[in-house]
Amino acid sequence: MTEKILSEKNRVVRHSRLELIEHWAIAISGLILLATGIFELPVAKRYYIITVPGLGWTADFITSLYLHYAAALVFTAAGIFHLVYHGGARGETGLLPQKGDMKASVTVIKSLFGFGQEPPMHKYLPEQRWAYVGMALIIAMLIVSGLIKTYKNLYAPDLSLAIVLTATWIHNICFVLFFLAFLAHMAAILLRPNWPMVRGIFTGNVRLDYARHRHALWIADLEKNEKSVDP
Amino acid sequence: MRISAGAAALTGIHLPKTARAEAAGSLATLIDLSLCDGCADRTMPVCIQACRSINADKIPPVAEHIPEPWPRKTIEDWSKKQDVTNRLTPYNYLYVHRAEVTVDGRSQTLFVPRRCMHCDNPACATICPFSANHKNQNGAVVINPNQCFGGAKCRDVCPWEIPQRQSGVGIYLHVLPDFMGNGVMYKCDLCNDRLKEGKKPGCIEACPRGAMLIGPKKEIEAQAQARSSKINGHIYGQKENGGTATLYVSPVSFELLNQTMIRKPGQPDMKPGVERRMAGTDPLGKAVLASPVLGLALAGVAGWFSRRRDRKTRQEEDHD
Repeated sequence: MTEKILSEKNRVVRHSRLELIEHWAIAISGLILLATGIFELPVAKRYYIITVPGLGWTADFITSLYLHYAAALVFTAAGIFHLVYHGGARGETGLLPQKGDMKASVTVIKSLFGFGQEPPMHKYLPEQRWAYVGMALIIAMLIVSGLIKTYKNLYAPDLSLAIVLTATWIHNICFVLFFLAFLAHMAAILLRPNWPMVRGIFTGNVRLDYARHRHALWIADLEKNEKSVDP
Repeated sequence: MRISAGAAALTGIHLPKTARAEAAGSLATLIDLSLCDGCADRTMPVCIQACRSINADKIPPVAEHIPEPWPRKTIEDWSKKQDVTNRLTPYNYLYVHRAEVTVDGRSQTLFVPRRCMHCDNPACATICPFSANHKNQNGAVVINPNQCFGGAKCRDVCPWEIPQRQSGVGIYLHVLPDFMGNGVMYKCDLCNDRLKEGKKPGCIEACPRGAMLIGPKKEIEAQAQARSSKINGHIYGQKENGGTATLYVSPVSFELLNQTMIRKPGQPDMKPGVERRMAGTDPLGKAVLASPVLGLALAGVAGWFSRRRDRKTRQEEDHD
């Protein structure tokens, strides 16, 4: 069990090293995919991006494709790893929406803006679980459509036009949704009550007093488990 | 690439070794420069005339006031220069280059019809961001004018810069004309509609010298080889840009012909052995196709370690 209360340090371990690697692999490769995806559109010359020092390469679609493929390799492998390892091998379901999450999400979001009290929460917030499913679906669609497009580029330029158009438009639409989801993810960080969680995604642990206050159900679970294993 | 071979072995998927341009029904054309005389006795080569006549109504009326793209204000409007036939334009998909060459001290004049080569794996089509440009199974590379935004990416990645833009037409006018798109790209589509009706492309049907042929790719390749051997000649288009569906047969080397061509917009050169730049990305693309297997394998390994750790923890707890 990775999650652990470190009372003497006023910390609780929220993410394992492996989870941090997964998160950052997907985040960094995802950002490279977003940028190089934009540069696969004819925008660099038109919008004078090529005049920015260091960005002269952005008008070269083949250079962008090298980077896009390199990032896609990491993104796809990390995405599949995440799904199979956490969902399959370890059977972890803490990030999947639970009964009552929709109603609880509204309560939490209202409380973030000063209306009402937050309900006691588990490790993940109810709206965080919905956001996770949304992001996972977008990523899955990007991966599947991207793989079809890659196969077409390499082996089948004359693949059925219906398949090519479907993959292309799913990829393009999900590219926009991924960008919006990324902005929403960043916006969530800007909200003050979420600030203590930010250190968790860099170091793996968060402040125990914060967790006791906001993730009371999670801490209660951890303390129950710790007591049960004590001799 | 080792990684893709591994993936294929693991998944049982057998990936083709080359692009599928050799599919049954795939066509190719042959242009025999030993036969083309540029229709010297006419005001305009017949192939150009036929091409222009077939495609005369392809471009709809151009917007009266073409929106000025922002911030780079490039507008390409050929609507008032539709008569130009000495280069590729949105209104002219074929032109004939006149090459004066000297071989073994003897001056010769050759005529080289130039148009889209219909490449086997055309970057113009595969990386079109909207898939408005597509390689058909019959070999024709066709731009759908109703989907094209005229960004000219296809022209940038084509080694011969064949597609030509007409601003002020197309779907971009109905989206964000000031900020996105700039017209429609036009080029030879091998008369794809005529091919579907079982007819030949206009230029080939009209050629009075029989200098152009169309047929199944394998047969055209064999024909090109035979004609080239017969005249101790040269072939262009077989390896260029990774292979194309247009084979030129010439009695004069293409190095020499290329020297007569000064590359200008709408007037491509004919550099022998021009590389397919996207080929460099293929190994990485194969690794991408193998990446789900990589993810699965890593999950398997991590899962095994995780189970072992859990088992040890349980054993330690039982001992305590």
